[in-house]
Amino acid sequence: MTPDAPFAGRGVLVTGGSRGIGRAVVLAFARAGADVAFSFRQDRRSADAVARAVEELGRRAVVRQSDSADLEAAAGWVDEAARELGRLDCVVTSAGGTGSIGWEVPRAEEWTGLFRTHVVGPYATVRAAAPHLRRTKGSAVLVASIAGLLAYPEEIAYATVKAGTISLARSLAFALAPEVRVNAIAPGWVRTDLTRALYDDPRARGAIERAIPRGRWGEPEDIASGVLFLASDGARFITGETVAVDGGELLAWRIGLER
Amino acid sequence: MFDLTGRTILVTGGSRGIGRAIALELGAAGARVGVHYRERRESAEEVVARLHDRGVEAKAFAADVTEPDQVVRLLEAVGAWSGRLEGLVTSAGIYRGPTVDEVDAEEWQKVIRTDLEGSFWTVRSALPWLRKGDRPAVVTLSSILGAHAAIGGAAYQMAKAAIEQMTRALSLELAPGTRVNSVAPGFVRTDINRAGHEDPVFSAKVARATPLGRWGEPEDIAPAVRFLLSREADWVTGLVLGIDGGLPLR
Repeated sequence: MTPDAPFAGRGVLVTGGSRGIGRAVVLAFARAGADVAFSFRQDRRSADAVARAVEELGRRAVVRQSDSADLEAAAGWVDEAARELGRLDCVVTSAGGTGSIGWEVPRAEEWTGLFRTHVVGPYATVRAAAPHLRRTKGSAVLVASIAGLLAYPEEIAYATVKAGTISLARSLAFALAPEVRVNAIAPGWVRTDLTRALYDDPRARGAIERAIPRGRWGEPEDIASGVLFLASDGARFITGETVAVDGGELLAWRIGLER
Repeated sequence: MFDLTGRTILVTGGSRGIGRAIALELGAAGARVGVHYRERRESAEEVVARLHDRGVEAKAFAADVTEPDQVVRLLEAVGAWSGRLEGLVTSAGIYRGPTVDEVDAEEWQKVIRTDLEGSFWTVRSALPWLRKGDRPAVVTLSSILGAHAAIGGAAYQMAKAAIEQMTRALSLELAPGTRVNSVAPGFVRTDINRAGHEDPVFSAKVARATPLGRWGEPEDIAPAVRFLLSREADWVTGLVLGIDGGLPLR
């Protein structure tokens, strides 16, 4: 292990690794020395580009198109990734990124679809990974959202299921202790394809900027840094935590930002 | 990853326990470290010597943080040495465990003045130097007892709860320039709670109640402080990070 490559010789699995936060997580792990397996749902071209970038860093990339919410499929893919990489030290569940649904959620299937993506998927992935992570005393990081900690009526189903992701991380942390640590990371407003419509609208972009004490939108790399910390040996006594990486948005008394 | 080269950081209470581990970790990450102590000059100098051995610049500074005048002079001395600060860690603290019936005014005040007021005035006095620093950040020391209750030591618990709110309030006031975060350790084996971890019955009870199955060590806390002070944590502010082996999960 060198200081610059703390994850050298380690294997990491990321769901939803072709775009956005997941992509940044894959690349950050590769830069830190890890071999990375990642899944994607739709965007093969992006997934291939990420895999090439990992390989250019001199690391192995294992890519699979997968719906991580299927328990059996998740188990098959996780086992395959562990076999290909030789070991699994960390799993990061970052699959998500459906479009906007809004406050009036007309159909039950939309609720269940989001629940599958943000709760069942992470559960299935971590459950399948648990035996591998026990062997390496590894950890899991679930990407949630500060929407799961605040009122978010614009996307009521998304906020509700992300609260579920946070709760899932706590129960999994308890269930898999002491060998495996499980934590959640709760990003605020991050510039990805998912938020592009808002970011490209100057009024919406500015309103969000003004709500963030740090004064800027997050970048996927901001979230990846938090994930890498939680996955690192330095976080060896941290489990069941929800870490907000949000430029301070969560703590602000909404009336108090203007001076 | 989480490299601190070129950053100057003051660690209060850096001669012992968690503060000592933090000072050593920050130095190992490349930071120039000011090591504050109250009484134990030899311990502080030992930390400084270890940092020097690793080729890291470091210097020890004495002050009683319960005296705001001394805190002002401490930061003057640190500023004269370093010219600026990229980081401040307020880990000077004491613990006293009397119940509400037992506690006297002197003991109560000593805890509040050291843990709470000492932290606040240290941050306040450091501001001019932090504002000269590159992407500065503050890390305060809370405790699992800042948000969870125990019998005995109410003043300590109140001080730690107040430190958490101080962290949030100052992270907003000092935004967007200076980040302020806190770490909240669970049961960590240091001098402060030696009576606890040297009592085999209590020690085993803590380990059993902790999902990760053991007491924390000072070295378990330091890397989180390093992360929070790093450039990579640029979008993290107002966070209180529990480092407790999962103890409060249920």
